[in-house]
Amino acid sequence: MLKDITFGQYFPGDSIIHRLDPRMKLVLIIAYIVLLFVADGLFSLLIGVAMVALFYALSKLPWKLVIKCIKPIMPIILFTAVLNIFFVEGDPIFEWKFISVSGKGVLTAVLMCIRIICLIAGSSLLTYTTTPIALTDGLERLLKPLQKIKVPVHELSMMMTIALRFIPTLIDETQKIMAAQKARGADMESGNLIQRAKALIPILIPLFVSAFRRADELALAMECRCYHGGEGRTRMKQLKMTAKDLFAALFVALGFATVILMNMYGPEVFRL
Amino acid sequence: MAENIIKTEGLNYVYSEGTPYEHRAISDVNIEIEKGSFVGLIGHTGSGKSTLIQHLNGLLKPTAGKIFIDGEDLWANPKDIRRFRFKVGLVFQYPEHQLFEETVRRDIAFGPKNMGLSDEEVEARVLEAAKHTGLTEDYLEKSPFELSGGEKRRVAIAGVLAMRPEVLILDEPTAGLDPKGREFILSEIKAYHEKTGATIILVSHSMEDVARFASHVLIMNHSKVAMFGKTREIFKRVDELCEIGLEVPQISRVFAKLREKGIDVPESVLTVAEAKEAMLKLLDKGGNSDA
Repeated sequence: MLKDITFGQYFPGDSIIHRLDPRMKLVLIIAYIVLLFVADGLFSLLIGVAMVALFYALSKLPWKLVIKCIKPIMPIILFTAVLNIFFVEGDPIFEWKFISVSGKGVLTAVLMCIRIICLIAGSSLLTYTTTPIALTDGLERLLKPLQKIKVPVHELSMMMTIALRFIPTLIDETQKIMAAQKARGADMESGNLIQRAKALIPILIPLFVSAFRRADELALAMECRCYHGGEGRTRMKQLKMTAKDLFAALFVALGFATVILMNMYGPEVFRL
Repeated sequence: MAENIIKTEGLNYVYSEGTPYEHRAISDVNIEIEKGSFVGLIGHTGSGKSTLIQHLNGLLKPTAGKIFIDGEDLWANPKDIRRFRFKVGLVFQYPEHQLFEETVRRDIAFGPKNMGLSDEEVEARVLEAAKHTGLTEDYLEKSPFELSGGEKRRVAIAGVLAMRPEVLILDEPTAGLDPKGREFILSEIKAYHEKTGATIILVSHSMEDVARFASHVLIMNHSKVAMFGKTREIFKRVDELCEIGLEVPQISRVFAKLREKGIDVPESVLTVAEAKEAMLKLLDKGGNSDA
């Protein structure tokens, strides 16, 4: 149940994608999302599909992870598709009573679906191949300029690091407590909504108690090691851009340029 | 031959199958545990002890293999699995983390209530379980969160005892307690065993505790059953145990060394009391031959 959630999960590996600088990965994924929305035709969007497919191949992750991350958003994809098919106006190709479907509507629906799938697949790849710690580290460095306008960047990223760090711990803890209550005959699988909500009490109370205890202990442990915020703090792992990061950036830039060129001079079929 | 209360056939369990985190926790476990025995379960961290015991009350479903409780297949009817959870009581590590009710009384009553017993029966069982764990009446109205660590643990164990399980499994029930608390919990378990005739499985890292209480010892190593047999027989195999990286009780080691030196002492000495007896006998014999 809980262990089936893959979004935001890290899958260890040693591929070139895993070893890219987290800052570069963050910037590139943003660029990639922009690219998906800049592309205005089926052919230019297929470049986006090819790019994410290539990244997955390079990451050497099992392909079924792609399906796993898309599954939970399937309802959203279907909803978007249906909405676009029926509500985008254009020359009708199919009419029945008050329902009319236009060619433009179908095309929009297809493009939208591809966009959403690529978007989720791409951003999932980021979390699949980057440890949460590296990710927040990269984010902190990228957001550093905001410190000038008094945004507490370090504190925010420390909060995020701690939150991410404790997600698996809390999932673990939840499973342990669930097992312990089940061993005492707690029934969580049957009953109506109210009974099921009530069945959560024996799990939530111990979970909150332990979360608070952990927070206390962590605060104490951090103070014992003289943590006093971000000022003058150095890092154990320095982030360094290398040739492969530059290469990745060039690759995405190339994809971007192709998409723009396709938008300008590409074939006029399947275009919005 | 006494009846077997627990029997497993080719039990296997794999965590997170099909992901990079895949990990075989237990493989090909075949054991038979006699009714009324007291089994000490020993093994290094990560040897599969905790996974094994969670199979015995149906919390984990084996990837392959079968479990029989009292001759009944545990997974014959998955809808019926709760029945076995009342029959096989499982006390987890640090069970005090599972407490949630407003009063100790209500927390202990959680298990029996889930069994669907009448209010009087629940109350009777709460009182009985509280007595077993040395909790007096005035504890029952307190909040479990205001108790000390050792007291909380006793409440949590009482919560399982109140279901009157025929098999009681405890996963390191003395971890993190002071010597007095340890002694108390262990003697409680022994008393429950003697009074009710329940089968006990005690997961422990302390060879001394296992030697003192257990009739049988089950040793897990690298997710397999390394040894299983009568306590005395197992602790004779000092060399094999050392190979696994486990130790025999200190006093057994002393006596094994004595035998190596050619002194005629019994082969298996498990406790200090036995050692004393053996030494006295030896001195007696020695004294006689001198005379």
